[in-house]
Amino acid sequence: MGEAKSVPVIQVEALEKRYGEIHAVKGVTFEIKKGEIVGFLGPNGAGKSTCLKAITCYLAPTSGAIKIAGMDVQESPREVRRKFGYLPENAPLYHDMIAYDYLRFVGELRGLSGKDLEQRIAHVASKVAIAQVLGQTVGTLSKGYRQRVCLAQALIHDPEILILDEPTVGLDPNQVVEIRSLIKELGKDRTVILSTHILHEVLATCDRIIIIHKGLIVADGTPRELLERFTSNPPVLLRIALPEGDGSEIMAKLQAQEWVERALSRPAGIAGEFEVEVQGREGGDHRTRLVELVGREGWSLLEIRREMLDLEGLFRKLTQE
Amino acid sequence: MRNVWIMGKRELAAYFSSAVAYVAITVFLVVVGVKFFIIDGFFKTGEASLRSFFELVPLFFVFYLPAITMRSIAEEKRQGTFELLATLPISDSEIVLGKYLGAVGFLAVTLAVTLVYPLGLALLGDPDWGAILGGYIGLLFLGAALLAAGIMASTWTQSQIVSYILGTLIGAIFFFTERLVRLFWETARDAVAYVSFDSHYSNFVRGVLDTRDILFFVAITALFLVVATFSLNSRRWK
Repeated sequence: MGEAKSVPVIQVEALEKRYGEIHAVKGVTFEIKKGEIVGFLGPNGAGKSTCLKAITCYLAPTSGAIKIAGMDVQESPREVRRKFGYLPENAPLYHDMIAYDYLRFVGELRGLSGKDLEQRIAHVASKVAIAQVLGQTVGTLSKGYRQRVCLAQALIHDPEILILDEPTVGLDPNQVVEIRSLIKELGKDRTVILSTHILHEVLATCDRIIIIHKGLIVADGTPRELLERFTSNPPVLLRIALPEGDGSEIMAKLQAQEWVERALSRPAGIAGEFEVEVQGREGGDHRTRLVELVGREGWSLLEIRREMLDLEGLFRKLTQE
Repeated sequence: MRNVWIMGKRELAAYFSSAVAYVAITVFLVVVGVKFFIIDGFFKTGEASLRSFFELVPLFFVFYLPAITMRSIAEEKRQGTFELLATLPISDSEIVLGKYLGAVGFLAVTLAVTLVYPLGLALLGDPDWGAILGGYIGLLFLGAALLAAGIMASTWTQSQIVSYILGTLIGAIFFFTERLVRLFWETARDAVAYVSFDSHYSNFVRGVLDTRDILFFVAITALFLVVATFSLNSRRWK
């Protein structure tokens, strides 16, 4: 796996798309390696769906190049389409069709037939847990089941790449959890690219996040990398037992350290405890120094942690203006 | 070709999976039957001929067939199913041809049901089978062209209503222009007759199978379907 993982299965270079006056995607470049689960994160209207529509060769980009498994999307659309399964937004299905017939129809267009096709239908139906509703008309199914039928359709030819546009939109919380764990499961042996405007979705399912805003990529990396990149030198939070007094002595000691830029007391919420946020000067992790200081002064430490800006905050920061 | 067949099969099944198909065919049979037997007084004329049937059905087709095709692509676009279909390994021309094949299948079923009329006729007298066969072939070609116009109109919009109106309009232009022009401008008649559905169709009804008429319908059908394919493809224009 180690070597295979480094092969890019999707290469997008300087992708741009205009719809008339609207400049939806303004030059997006990224690569997705084999086996990655990548979340395309961005507010509504950021250009996520447009990117996916270009990758699936539904739309042609205004400029830029897209390669899937080394093949240019515009030059060999038919070969490229065999490589991926696609779940468009809102799981569009033919409502008057029986689920089984629908999967048959897609399977046939995917080049399957006979016993092969029947086995594949049975396999994907059990994988996404729709075996018990295969005989029903799609229109009578709940939204969660329709999403699964559409997912089954995307998996029918056992594609290497799975492209999912807003896979959990409109589902109830239980269905959301189920679909997410399904995606994680499916991502074990294939490359998955999914778009969403929900941060939790990415954290729950993806190895890597690409944040897109106003048609541009504003961040790209693992959740950890993004946090580290965007929040260097985070403040450290100390909680110290303080049966009496207002903690001004502690504050004075902290502020006296030359490596402390500032210390701010925060409401601890519990009687007998004192909380303080310490912002260190640039460079290095100040937690060990703080622990040493606490030891020297004989304070009884209850808690120490780095105040990372959470991804929610980061996402808001990156996609606000 | 395999994809066209798969698409066509699904389309035809979709027509018959709802009550709409049965209602449409019943309405067709009733309207044509009432006009043919009651209004035109088939039993009074005492003639074992389907001539008035073959005059009436084309008129009816102009309004009936666009209703068959109005959903075909417009509704797929509206529901978003088109996006899924178009990202399967199938080309736009195969989508158009498959949709068209399904519609022609529906037309064939409708025409097959009307075979009760000539068969009934055979019980009453001795009809001119050549004219009847010619008439049916003519209806098939005419209907196929009207369906192609309907499919083309269906690629232009997401609204079934707009699709129906445009389809009917195009059919009506090709069908009625000659009659209109004939009223006002006698000299242009021949030129207009050349592109008129009516004049080509009437040769079939007279029992004359002329390659020029067949070629005309084949060409105009192909033209509509090519435009439909271009129209679907236009989403990929930069």
